[in-house]
Parts: sequence; structure tokens; C-alpha cells
Amino acid sequence: MRQVWGIAVYEVMHILKDRTLMLMVFLVPFLYAALFGAVYASGVLTGIPLGVVDLDHSALSREVVDTFGNAQHFQVVPAVATYQELERAMATGVVRAGVIIPVNFEQQVSEHRLSQVELVYDSSNLIWGYNIRRYALTVINQFYQTHAAANLIGLGFTGKEINDILDTVSLNTEIWYNPALNYCNFLFPGLILLILHQIGLLSIGLTVTREKERHCWLHYLGSAIPRWKIVAGKCLPYFLVNFCNYALLLWLASSFLNVDIGGSLPLIILLGALYDVIITSAGFAISVRSSDSLVVTRVLMLLSIPIFFSSGFTWPLAYMQPLLADLVRLMPYPWMAEAFRLVSQKGAGAGVIAVNLLVLGIMACLSLFFALNFSKRLNSWRVRPQDFYCNDHARRVSETGGVSC
Amino acid sequence: MSLQQMTLLRREVLTIWRDRSLRYILLFGALIAVLLFLAIYSAQVIKAIPTAIVDLDHSNTSLELTSYIRNTENLQVIAYPQSFEDLEDLIRQGGVVTGIVIPENYGRDIALGRQTRLLAIIDGSNMIYATNASSAILTIARTIAAEAGIKTLVGHGVQYSDAQAAYQTIDFQEEPWYNPALNYAYFLVLALALNIWQQCCILSACMTVAGETGRASWLQIRAAGFSRLRLFACKAVVQVVAFVLVALPVYLLAGMVFSIPMRCGFLALLLFTALFAVSLQSVGTLMSSLARNAVDASRFGMIIALPSFVLSGYTWPLEAMPRWLQLLARVFPQTWFFQGLNYLTFKNPGWDFMSRYFLALLAIACVCYSVAAVAISHNSYRVRRAGS
Repeated sequence: MRQVWGIAVYEVMHILKDRTLMLMVFLVPFLYAALFGAVYASGVLTGIPLGVVDLDHSALSREVVDTFGNAQHFQVVPAVATYQELERAMATGVVRAGVIIPVNFEQQVSEHRLSQVELVYDSSNLIWGYNIRRYALTVINQFYQTHAAANLIGLGFTGKEINDILDTVSLNTEIWYNPALNYCNFLFPGLILLILHQIGLLSIGLTVTREKERHCWLHYLGSAIPRWKIVAGKCLPYFLVNFCNYALLLWLASSFLNVDIGGSLPLIILLGALYDVIITSAGFAISVRSSDSLVVTRVLMLLSIPIFFSSGFTWPLAYMQPLLADLVRLMPYPWMAEAFRLVSQKGAGAGVIAVNLLVLGIMACLSLFFALNFSKRLNSWRVRPQDFYCNDHARRVSETGGVSC
Repeated sequence: MSLQQMTLLRREVLTIWRDRSLRYILLFGALIAVLLFLAIYSAQVIKAIPTAIVDLDHSNTSLELTSYIRNTENLQVIAYPQSFEDLEDLIRQGGVVTGIVIPENYGRDIALGRQTRLLAIIDGSNMIYATNASSAILTIARTIAAEAGIKTLVGHGVQYSDAQAAYQTIDFQEEPWYNPALNYAYFLVLALALNIWQQCCILSACMTVAGETGRASWLQIRAAGFSRLRLFACKAVVQVVAFVLVALPVYLLAGMVFSIPMRCGFLALLLFTALFAVSLQSVGTLMSSLARNAVDASRFGMIIALPSFVLSGYTWPLEAMPRWLQLLARVFPQTWFFQGLNYLTFKNPGWDFMSRYFLALLAIACVCYSVAAVAISHNSYRVRRAGS
């Protein structure tokens, strides 16, 4: 164990000496989490700017306007009064939705002729589009109820009779697991898992390439230390830091952003541990097979957005091309994100996420296998005179390409 | 153009080409991204939301209702659990997103004019599904309530036409502007592909200074007496041209092959992209001038490039973010570009409005180049002092 401990201490010293790496391991996950937390802090769209084009100016049209104006999610922008102004305001983003009430609206309604009110909304950004549609439908349903009640009074019904008629069949809607349809609850846990995935891979991904560039990897290869001890020693600090980051980020999300993170704690710990093993050992396996820190940095960083958007966390896998959906399932992130959502939001037990646990377990074994199976033969690595030095001189030589010699 | 400038331009082209990983990233990164995101959003809209119906009544009326729900747009009934508990399990396991429970005695209560309550349950854990399901359920709720109300009124002796008029004289017509089919592919694919493209560009631009000073040839360049301004200007020109050339097939593929809307026209979009490429190059140069080596420069660049998409207002509207964050987001060129891209491709609001986006990108480029120049001069001064 002393050898593992020695390598781990050496790795920690490297992390602490390399300022950028230290920031990436200890600070960047929290920086990103704070940033994303601030982005989604409100979680629900409110005060959506609404333009009203009232071409009727009647009591009934004012009733329509008031229903939208008094709704929690809309805010009427008084500057918009004509259709042209609405078009311009929509094009420049001053308003995101509009209600157009036609001429003779009240007269048509009083004559029991069908009258159309137009509801337009900005669907160039679908976060606006879908939410406005949902909020508007709620307001419209509410208006229909009020309007029907007023008509029934006209037909001579009493208050109790009206309530009975309006409530003959009512459809109560319950939204489970995220009752307010809060985007923070929806997206933030997935973003935390992605941050851990990427920062974890990126920090450990450089652990061997750095040694190679400093010509110190040869000492590991040439030593009598068994491979598993090298892997364990190199990975241990990153594994521990990643796990602490996982726990801390979830606690911060739950405490400060009120993200619903419930469910079984042992399952959340187990999932975190499996995910961490996969990331750490996969990062080591990548690092040991790469020759260049720059290439590892570039490739790993470019993967973040595709991993998140293809994972099924936002856009369902069932709606993707089948081949792509199958390929996506080869990555750990989609399995982890799905299992984490099932446990933390839906309170699912081990039985429900058994497949996810099994797949993550297999992935952990496979990544450990690839991490442990690197060649220790000296001729597998190109040996140069400076490779025998592991000091500042060797580094200077390597960085200047021999000029300082 | 002098021979010296030509030599520097040619040298930069060769530098990019000889860096194998950078070459592949620049050539194929954005193209692979556009194809990947097209495959992800190939369905374009969410329509068949998996739905379950628990019919505890089994009357003709409940069967009619089941049939009505089955024919509703956006809901696809895939399961008929026997009990509420079964439905609960199905929703928890993600088997269905929406559940509708028809209570016992539903048909009898309707026939007797008694009140009855249906229950709709929506799984809110995935908002893409939930917002669509919620809208579909709201539409069903309105229709069912109106039909039942009309029947009850007729039962009370009101003429059918009067009963219908009491409920249905106002029709709210819904009209989504700019993206009428609420198509996710139109909304996201181009933006996501260009996001990968901007990351590739930043990675390349991050080599501007760190890539030179980390090489032995840097000493030769310094000894040759090239002006630093001329050297870095030539590098910037080559990189910006390369960035725009790499973006071209993305636009062509997205616009011509996959018909993603570009209302502003190709030239305006290309000009806007070119300006963004200049600002990206300036940010990369700045990161490169502040970093100790190429790896650090890439990390610095990507620390900015990665969260920029979340900050740019594509996954959550900029207006809904806290005020201080809106100001912070506007420091990044990506925010201006992606906001501007959305306006240009969907709305084309005209030069009066768009000029601020062009100017903001230009201003960011000026500031970044100025700070980078100061940083490079400072570093050179430090090296000279250390040498003397």
C-alpha cells in the first residue's frame, strides 16, 4: 500500500503545483455549477411580454385583455396597439406573444356568431414557444369558464346551478415529480453530472500524458511497481476529489437552488461511486494511450455538448435515429443521468434501475480493464536521452525543443 | 502585399495544416456536429406522447371518452393499466408520460347529470414531454367540459343551439410565428452545430501566441526581426479565413440539404459569421497570450467556450436570467452571435436592429486584441529583462 500511497501523494503534489489543473479540479466544477444555477435560478418563465391589439375596444374585448393581463405569467406591453407594431415588436423581441381581438368582436359574440381571437407567439425559441402555449391555454380555459358562466346567467340559471353545470365533468391535472414544471429541477442535475464527467475526464486524462511529456513515464514503466498499483495511485486522488465534488454539488443544488433531490441515499451514493470509477479509469485509459496532452484536451472538451444533447436527458432517445440511440447507449452518461433522475426525482428503488446499475457496473469493469492493461515493455515507448532525466533540465529541453541546450 | 507578409501567411497555413489533430478538428468537427444533431432531432417534433388510460368504469360513455383521447393529436395511448397503482408504477418507470384515470360510475353520473371528476397525471421530470403533454391535456379538458356542459344544458331544457352558443362563441386561434410547426430541428440544429464550430475555432485561435512561443522557431522569428503586429495580424487573417471556410459547408448542409430556415439570406449570415470569427480569434489570442503553454491556452479558451451556449439564451431565455448574469453573458461574443443568429435566421428584423449585434462583436474583438497586445508586450519585456 505504501507504493500506492507514494504515487498518490506525488499526483496530489502535481495537482497542487499546476495552478490551472488545481483550479480545474477544485474550483471549475463549482464555478460552472454556480453559473448554471444562476442561469436556471428562476426556473419558470414569468412576466412574458405580451402585446395586445384590441380592434374592438368593447367591454368583452377588455375582459379578454384583463384575463391575460391578470395572469401570473404574462405582462401586457402597453406600447403595442396595432398589428404592425405587434409584428415589429415580435421581430425585435420586445414582446414574445400577442393577442389580436377583431373588429365587432363583442357584437358577433352577442349575436351568437363565432368570433375568432388570434393568439400569436414567438416560436423561434421553443423555450418561449412551448411555455407560452401552455400558459395561454390555461388562461383561455379560465376565460371560457368565466364567459360560459356569464352566458348561463343570461339564460336564467342560479349561481349553484351554474357551478353544477360547469363542473359536470372536470379534468383535474396533477403534475408529478416536478409540479411547477421548473427548468432548474429538470436540467440542473443533468448539468452537474456532465460537469463531473468532463472535468473528471479532463483532469485525469492528462495524468500520464504529462508524465510522458516530462519524460518521467519511463520511470513507471521501468520500475518493479505492478500496473494495478500505478493505476490505483494515479487515480486515487482524482476519484476522491470527484466523489467529493459529486456530493458537494448535489448538496449545494438541493440547499441553495431547491432542486428536488430525494430518493434513496445509498442508491445515490452507489450510482455516484460507479460513475466516478468509470470516469476515473476511462480517463486513465485514454491518457495512457495518448501521447499528447493537447490532443486529449481538445478532443475531450469538444465532446461536452454532443454528450449532453444526445443523452436523452432533454430530447427523448425514442425520437432519435435508432442507430444513434444505440450508439448513445454505449456511453455512461445517458445511463447515469437516467438512473439519477429515476432515483432522485421519482424515488425509484434498486429494482427499477437494476438495468442501469448493471450496465454502469459492466462499464466500470471494462474501463478498469482498459486502464489496467497498458504495456510496461520499455520498447513500447520511444526512448531518448532526456527521458532518463526527470528534472527541470529535461523539461526545459523538451519545451524548447533543444534550443536551450 | 509584401513578400514578408506572404511568407507569414503561408507559414500560418502550414502551421495549421501540420497540426494533425487541429486539422481534423477544424475540417470535420462542425460537419460531424451538424450531421449528429440532425440525427438527434430527426423527429423534429414530439407528437406521440406515451399515454395510459385507467378505465375504472368500463361503460359506453367511458369507452367513448377513451376513443376520443386515442384520436387526440400528440397523445398516443399505449397502455390500459387495470388500477391506479399500475399506472403509478408505469409512470415511475418511465413507461408512459401521461395517465388519465376515468372514475367508477363515470357513465352513470354523466347520464344523471351529476358531477364527476377525471384525473390526468403528467410526468414532469422531462420538461420536453411535460410541456407538450400539459398543452394536450388542457385542450382535452376544455373540449370535454364544453361537451358535457352542453349535454347538461340540453338536459335542463335549453335549446341545443343556445347551449352551444353559451360555450362556443369565441374561438381562440393559436398561431406560432417564425417556426409554425414548433420544429426542434429548426430551432436547435444549426445553433448546436455552430456551437461546436466556435469551440473548434477557439481551440485553433488559442494556438496563436502559445503555439509560437512554445516552439524553437520562435527564437528564429524574433531574430529575423519581424514586427509582432505583422506576425500576429497575418496569423489572425489566415485563421479567420479558415474559420469562415469551415462554417460554409455547415450553412450549405443545414440550409440547402435540410431546409433549416435562413430568412436573412446567405450573404448577411456569412458577414455576421465572419465578424464572429474575428471576435473568436481575438478571444483565442487573448487566452493564448495569458497562458503559459498551449495546453493551458486550450483549457482557458474552452472554459469560456463551453458554458457560452447555456449563457447565450438558447436553453433558457436571456431575459429570464438575473440582471447581473445578463450583463456578464453579454461580455462573451457567443451570446451576441447566437442571439443574433436566432434573429437573423427566423425573423430578419433589419439592419437598424441587427447593427448592435455587429457592433458588439466588433467592440469585443477590439478590446480582446488590445488586451492581448498589452499582455504580449508585457511578456516580451519580462523575458528581455530576465535575459539582461
